[in-house]
Formats: sequence, structure tokens, C-alpha cells
Amino acid sequence: MSTKARSIVVWTAVALVGAVAWGVIALIRDEQISAAWLIFAAVASYAIAYRFYARFIQYRVLGADPDRATPAERLQNDVDFQPTDRRVLFGHHFAAIAGAGPLVGPVLAAQMGYLPGTIWIIVGVIFAGAVQDMVVLFFSMRRDGKSLGQMARDEIGPFGGIAALVAVLSIMVILLAVLALVVVNALADSPWGTFSIAMTIPIALFMGFYLRVLRPGRVLETSGIGVALLILAIALGGVVQDSSLADTFTLDAETLVFCLIAYGFIASVLPVWMLLAPRDYLSTFMKIGTIVLLAVGIIVTLPVMENEAVTKFASSGEGPVFAGALFPFVFITIACGALSGFHALIASGTTPKMIEKETQVRFIGYGAMLMESFVAVMAMIAASIIDPGLYFAMNSPGGATGGTVQSASEFVNGLGFAIAPEALQSAAQAVEEETLVSRTGGAPTLAIGMSEIFSGVTGDGLKAFWYHFAIMFEALFILTTVDAGTRVGRFMIQDTLGNVIKPFRDVSWKPGVWFASAVIVGAWGYFLWAGVTNPLGGINQLFPLFGIANQLLAAVALTVCTVLLIKHGKLKWAWVTGVPLAWDAAVTLTASWQKVFSSDPILGFFAQRDRFQEAIDRGEVLAPAKDMDDMHAVVTNSTVDGILAAFFAILIIVIILDAARVCIRTIRSSEPVETTEVPKVESRLQAPAGLFETAGRT
Amino acid sequence: MTARQVISGVRWYLREVSGESAYDRYVAHRRRDHPGEPVMSRRDFERRRQDAREARPQSRCC
Repeated sequence: MSTKARSIVVWTAVALVGAVAWGVIALIRDEQISAAWLIFAAVASYAIAYRFYARFIQYRVLGADPDRATPAERLQNDVDFQPTDRRVLFGHHFAAIAGAGPLVGPVLAAQMGYLPGTIWIIVGVIFAGAVQDMVVLFFSMRRDGKSLGQMARDEIGPFGGIAALVAVLSIMVILLAVLALVVVNALADSPWGTFSIAMTIPIALFMGFYLRVLRPGRVLETSGIGVALLILAIALGGVVQDSSLADTFTLDAETLVFCLIAYGFIASVLPVWMLLAPRDYLSTFMKIGTIVLLAVGIIVTLPVMENEAVTKFASSGEGPVFAGALFPFVFITIACGALSGFHALIASGTTPKMIEKETQVRFIGYGAMLMESFVAVMAMIAASIIDPGLYFAMNSPGGATGGTVQSASEFVNGLGFAIAPEALQSAAQAVEEETLVSRTGGAPTLAIGMSEIFSGVTGDGLKAFWYHFAIMFEALFILTTVDAGTRVGRFMIQDTLGNVIKPFRDVSWKPGVWFASAVIVGAWGYFLWAGVTNPLGGINQLFPLFGIANQLLAAVALTVCTVLLIKHGKLKWAWVTGVPLAWDAAVTLTASWQKVFSSDPILGFFAQRDRFQEAIDRGEVLAPAKDMDDMHAVVTNSTVDGILAAFFAILIIVIILDAARVCIRTIRSSEPVETTEVPKVESRLQAPAGLFETAGRT
Repeated sequence: MTARQVISGVRWYLREVSGESAYDRYVAHRRRDHPGEPVMSRRDFERRRQDAREARPQSRCC
């Protein structure tokens, strides 16, 4: 058989598998389906998208040229610019984009059933998320690795540039607050979890010292020791929980907030080698290892989906996990995994400076994002194989469930799902936790799902270990993100202030370091504190804001891409990023609109504020607030959150209008407009484009 | 592919991804392009590399 004929047969088979899997997921309603169908649908769709759509974008739309030298080749300096093997760079890029986002979002979105979220994760990544990552990577690579903010300034104008900078800083703050909140909710009153996570600090310090002094550069050896110590710390946590030390490590949420804030500040001020770098190695290895384990676990155990395909909350918008109907809130909640603006920062950061060949942007940009999306599908599976009654008892805010197994059971029954108080009790006992009621934030739910899957392979005896393993794995890389994000935010503040106050320009000037770190930690610390103490539940109030901020950043990135396509005379291909941009803008603006203007107090921040303010004026206390202080806290939080939602919407509108002006000018202009693209230089390097391919085009 | 090839492939990948092979590459580069000039010890090289990271924070995504 000729290669072409074989290719046709193979791709027809892939398309058939995908079509059958999608058919099963979408049409079977009366019985539970196996999680395997979701895996088949995802993998077949990814394969077709990668082979056909991504290839079309790479060669036809972007015009990637294998004979054009990349910045890594032209500017090689062994520091930033360094041609790096595509498989190695793929690993770096994936490690940088993958985090807790794709694990948490789908868990929360599961309140609307697994179907809407799964469709968005797969369709969204193919047409929006992976396209964004790849196109940003390409354009940044053509500009010697310029950052997204710089490209916005150069190609749209100072207005767009400032808006992009503000968007980046605000998303960073909200992101860190929400992620820290996930950790706090997972560790509150859990001595096992708190002990294991606390142990990561001495472990990381030891690794840092080992790498710096004892065995310089032996990263693998050091990481091996670190991972072994980590597993030991998880196992020891179970012992600590039953010992007299348990009280020391039983911390309430408020105390954990202060620990995290102090930790974030110290980590941002300490030298990188001491804490951040070793922690980064540790969390990267744990992350990749656990993702692989999870994939293997799902394939070996083939669990059945307990969740409904579409719950009634999809249309009513009255779900307890987060408020709002399917459109737009599923698309806000599942940000990472389908379309994440944050990735544009990575794709315009170090990756474009290390890529060997222009034709590798498909493999690295598009391919790594497909993998991230697959992680999100697995998170959706993990959240959907547990009993929906347990899911709602865990993910509804404490104000709603009342905190005890009896009241939680009644609340869940009232929602139209069922779980007995005894079942809630025994689920908590199985993982050796005090309680599972209102353990919001997604991490505990995911950990329950993962422990279910893993103990399906290893036997039920290890359930509690696997639960805490999963908590540890999430908390570990969330804390790494908090470290790294605080430091990035610190540099941005130092950089901005440096324009006005000279000493700030020196990034190692100590007072500047302390001041900028305190500002950034204070900012996310404020939202974290507000989230933890909010009687209405922090996650259900803050997560939509995080989603909106992330999608806002995606709108900035897609706008820059669309402007650049038009400036490069590719108006006819502008839909490739223009359509996802239009969709993203519609989602984000609708969500902001509802969050600001909805008259429903559950959905609209200002309606909520008015409701509580009026009650305060009448001297009443409204549930779930317990006293007047709670009432004032709700009013303040709702006001701040509402203003932020409005502010994000205005930013998007400003950027899109400014970009539209540039596009119209470009289209009307009779001469080609200038861009900041670096002229072509012949490449001397030989390197393949894809994973297995030989040099040149395929 | 034999088992030995797989193992050496995995080893190569881990060393590259973790940056452990950076020093070997540096030594090879110095020997090739600057013969006769001094080559930093591993300790100095790794210290320089770590300290360079200080100035370029890399964000981790969500």
C-alpha cells in the first residue's frame, strides 16, 4: 500500500473512532457510560486537529519557513538564546503551562454535568486555546522573543500596551489569591495535609543546599532524593495525624492564610537557588509523574461516570458551586485546559528564544496545549466518577451546607441529589479526614476521584495515602506557582516603579525588593483573606473573577495575533484568531455584564451588595452571615469584586477598539504597513519539525 | 529499539530537560571554540547559572 493510501485508511479509522465516541457521550442518556469514551473522543479529536488544522495554520496561515533562522540560532548566547532540542523544549514548555488550573476548573464545572465541560475542553482547545499558544509563540519568535506586553505596545499602540500590562498584573494577583485559596481549603483542619506540605519547605531547602554546595548541577540525583523524602513526608503525615503532634498541625483557614502570606513574602525575597529552584524541580517531577499515573489509572480501571451528562443547573444557573447559567459560566470556569490567556505569557517568554526551527511551533505550541487539555479531561473524569451527592456536599459553600453531615445531607437532598449522613461520614473516614463537607476549591474533590482511581489499581487499603498524595501534589505545584508568580509580579512592580524612582531599576536593591514583594503579597493576600472569611464562600465568589481575568488576557493575546495577521497582509486568514477572539469577547463580556448588572443577588455582585446593605440599614442579619461583621464583610467584598468585574470588561473593550482602529487603518492603507518582524536570515541548522519526523517538511 | 537504547534515550532526555547536561555542553563548546583558554569548574559554572536565574523569573502557569 502506498504511503498516501495508508494515511487515508489510518485517518479514516481515527475519525470513525472519534465519531463513535462522541456519539456515545452525547446520545446515551439512560445508562452510565465508561470514562473510556471521553478518552477516545478526546484523543481522536486531538489527533485530527493536530494533523490537519494545526498544520494548515502553521504552513498556510503563518507561513512557517524551515529555511529561516530562529532567534535561538541567530542570537545564540548560551544564556537566553539557545537552540534546544524540540522534545526537550516541549517538556519545558509543558511544565511551564501546566498547573492547577486545568485540574480545578473542570471539577467546579462538573456541577453542570460532564458533557458541557468536556465539549468545551476539547473543542475550545482545538479552535481557541492551542491556536492562541501557537500563534503567539510564532509571532514572538519572529520578533526575537518579545513579550506579549511589548508586542501589544509595538503593534497596537501605547494604550493597548498599558491595558495589557494592567491585565497581566491584575490576573496575576487574582490567580495567586484563588490558587492560594484552593490550598487553604484543602489544608484547613487537616493535620495530615498540613504536615506533608509544611515538610516540603525543609525538603526544598535541603535540596537547594545540596545542589549549591555538595553536588553542584546534579539535578536528577537531587530531585530523586527530594521525591523520596516527599513520599516519606506523605506517609509520615498519617502517623502525625494519630500522634500528639496532631494539634500542632491542625490549623484553621485564617491561620493558614497568614502562614501562606508570610511564606510568599519570604520565598520572593530569598535567593532563587535556596527555595524556588529546588521546589520547582520537585513539583515538575511530581506533576509529570502524577499526570502519567492518572492516565494509566484511568485506562487500567476504566471507571464509570456517576455524574449526570447535563444537570439541571446548566439551564437554571442556580448551582451551589458557582452561580450563573451554562453560557457564559462554563467557559469562564474552565479557563486553563481550553483557552488560557496566561499561556500567552509563557509562549512569549523563554520558549520563543529556544526554539530551533520555525516549523516546530506546531509541535511545541499546539501540541503542549493539547496535552494540557487532556489533563483537564482527566480532571473532569476524576470529578465525575464520584457520587454526585458527595460532589455537591463537598463543593457547596459552608454557609449552605451548614458544615455537619446531617445538615449537608439535607441540603444535598434539597438540591435533588441524595447522600446519607452515614455515607458522608464513611467517605471522610476512608481517606482519614475529619470531614468532607464543604471542602470547596476543587482540590479535595479531585483528590477523592484520584484516590478512587488509584486504589482501584492498588486496593482500598491505600485510599487515604492516595488522597493525601493527590492533595500534596496539587498543593505543591500551587505553592510553586505562588512563589514564581509573586516573584514575577515583584519584578513587574520594580520595573514599573523604576521608570519613576531610579533605585528601583536595580532589581537587587534590597528596599525595592522588600517593598515590591510586600505590595504583591499584600494584594493577593487581601483577596485570599477576603475569600477565606467570606460567609458566602470564597471560591464561588472569586473563581468567576479569576476566569474572567484569564479570559481577558486571552482576549489581549488573540487581539494581538489578529492585528498581526492583518498587518502581515493575511486578512483572509484573520478568522483563525478572529473567531476565537469574538467568542472569547462574547463570553467574557457577558459574564462581566451579568456579574455587574444582574438583578439576581446570587449572580450580580452589586445586587448582592444592595441586598446586604439594605438589611444592614434595617438592622437585620441575613443568612449565611452570622453577625453584623459578616454582613459588612459581604458588602465590602461584593463591592470590590463588582468593581473588578466592571474594570476587566472596560479593559477588554478598550483593547479591542484600539486594535480595530489599527486594523482598519491597515486595511485601508495602500502600502504594506510596518511591523517589528525581524528580516529573514538563512538558517544553517537542520532539525525535524515534529516528534518523529525527519528534517524538512512533512 | 533495544532495551539499552530505550534506557539511554530516557537518560538523555532527563539530563537535557533538567539542565544537568548544560555543563558538559559548555565544556565541549569551550574546547571547540576557545581552545587553550581556561574552562570554569563545574561548581563555578553551576553557581553562575543559578545566579543568572535570579534576574529572570519565569512564571508558572495556573
